[in-house]
Amino acid sequence: MTPAIADALPPIGLAVLQAAGMLAVAPLLKAAIKKMKARLQNRQGPPLLQGYYDLAKLLRKEPVRSETASWVSVAGPRVYFAAAVAATTLVPVLIAAAPLEAAGGILLLVGTLALGRFALATAALDTGSPFGGMGASRDMTIAALAEPALMLGLFTSALAAGSLNLGGLVRNVLQRGGTIHPSDLLAFAGLFIIVIAETGRIPVDNPATHLELTMIHEAMILEYAGPDLALVEWASALKELLYLTLLVDFFLPAGIATSAAPGAIAVALLAWAGKIFLLAIAVTIAESTNAKLRLFRVPELVSISLGLAFLALAIRFL
Amino acid sequence: MTTSDVLILCAAGMLVSAYLMVGQKALFATIRLYGLQSLLLGIVAAVIAVSEARYELFVTAVVTVVLKAMLIPWFLMRVIDRIGIHREIEPFLNVPASLLVCLGLTVVGYRVSTGFPESSRGVSHHLVGVALSMLLTGLFLMVTRKKAITQILALLTVENAVFLVAVGVTSGMPLVVELGIAFDVILAVLVLGILVHRIVDRFESMDVSRLSKLKG
Repeated sequence: MTPAIADALPPIGLAVLQAAGMLAVAPLLKAAIKKMKARLQNRQGPPLLQGYYDLAKLLRKEPVRSETASWVSVAGPRVYFAAAVAATTLVPVLIAAAPLEAAGGILLLVGTLALGRFALATAALDTGSPFGGMGASRDMTIAALAEPALMLGLFTSALAAGSLNLGGLVRNVLQRGGTIHPSDLLAFAGLFIIVIAETGRIPVDNPATHLELTMIHEAMILEYAGPDLALVEWASALKELLYLTLLVDFFLPAGIATSAAPGAIAVALLAWAGKIFLLAIAVTIAESTNAKLRLFRVPELVSISLGLAFLALAIRFL
Repeated sequence: MTTSDVLILCAAGMLVSAYLMVGQKALFATIRLYGLQSLLLGIVAAVIAVSEARYELFVTAVVTVVLKAMLIPWFLMRVIDRIGIHREIEPFLNVPASLLVCLGLTVVGYRVSTGFPESSRGVSHHLVGVALSMLLTGLFLMVTRKKAITQILALLTVENAVFLVAVGVTSGMPLVVELGIAFDVILAVLVLGILVHRIVDRFESMDVSRLSKLKG
């Protein structure tokens, strides 16, 4: 971490602030995408604060759990939530340094997210409901393909910046200035498909349906109610914001604050919000103009992104 | 962003679109990707026209955008609408395998481009690399797809690749030659469009591999 930032705030304080801020904004992103999608279909759509209302409602309710469920299904949403929150502290959001970047970089980030996914999938299997098992198996199938592509895409940028540490990576990209390499665009295209796949958006999964033939993420969390469901929903929204922030960090870091001066942070906040909004529009358009793929064709889509990410890495060397 | 950044971004965009064409089975989406690719080619021509003060390239840019990004996609979509065949059902090679092959072809194309003296490093290296990769990808697409429309699009992708080198790396072609090429492309697409109609009339399918039944 650069000295100026480290002096201003201890890493733990910064980590808490950043995680709290991201948690506060995450439901808004989900609602904004829903709203834009509705407007594209000439519908009014839910209000922008609907995400918060839903969370408040779910958190007030009493948890209902299956009689056959063990502690695994109690722990699942909590680990999933904790992993998502922990992952946010590894990513630079407003200033060019991740709060806990001393803890680890890209590998830890991917590992933390995988831990959360593992916890949720085991919890889905735990209740013994057929939907849970089906959702878990589908989610894992996609994850097994998406994760290598995610790693390859992230490594391409890391290779260019010469650092596996996310904070160091962003700082290097800022210092190196604006030379663009073709592999940047290839990696971006590959990672964008991965973000769509990982956040359960339409060509891969439909977040708005409970139709048993098609659902993936929703099938996994079908058994949850009340605060457990709230945790899962909140963590999913947080993960989506996290992925978009990653794209912003890697490919459009301009505007991010390099010191802890209030003015720089205010500019960075505006820049970050604007860039996330642009990406949200891109996600909305991708979701509105595509039909959901058959489950057996999802690997094709993910293999495209794997190919793009690999190509990006290969071209970097040529 | 500097000029070379824009050029590299557009070239990389063309490569991505060519790659997505390989992964795509819906014909409409493939045509749109071709339109996007041609638009990016037009932007490349326009940017070079401004940065190197070669204003005759503006004509190339306009012809490219109007003809290849608008007219040809519109015509091909109309052909598809008329005959009502919307998907590439069974290519000779399935999608993941073709993607893998194209990956290898792109690496080969890029590797070969480092051998050109012109392209030791910098923008022209990337332009030649992208163009060679697109050329190989287009040829591959032409060989492995059965639908006549996809084959036309593959041919046009190859043409785009050649154009990218001609505009980006060489000192340009005379305007007469460029216009000649443009008319050639129009004619080729029109003739192939008619051919597609004839094939569909005869076989009720766009599958060109059935043409072999005509002999004897």
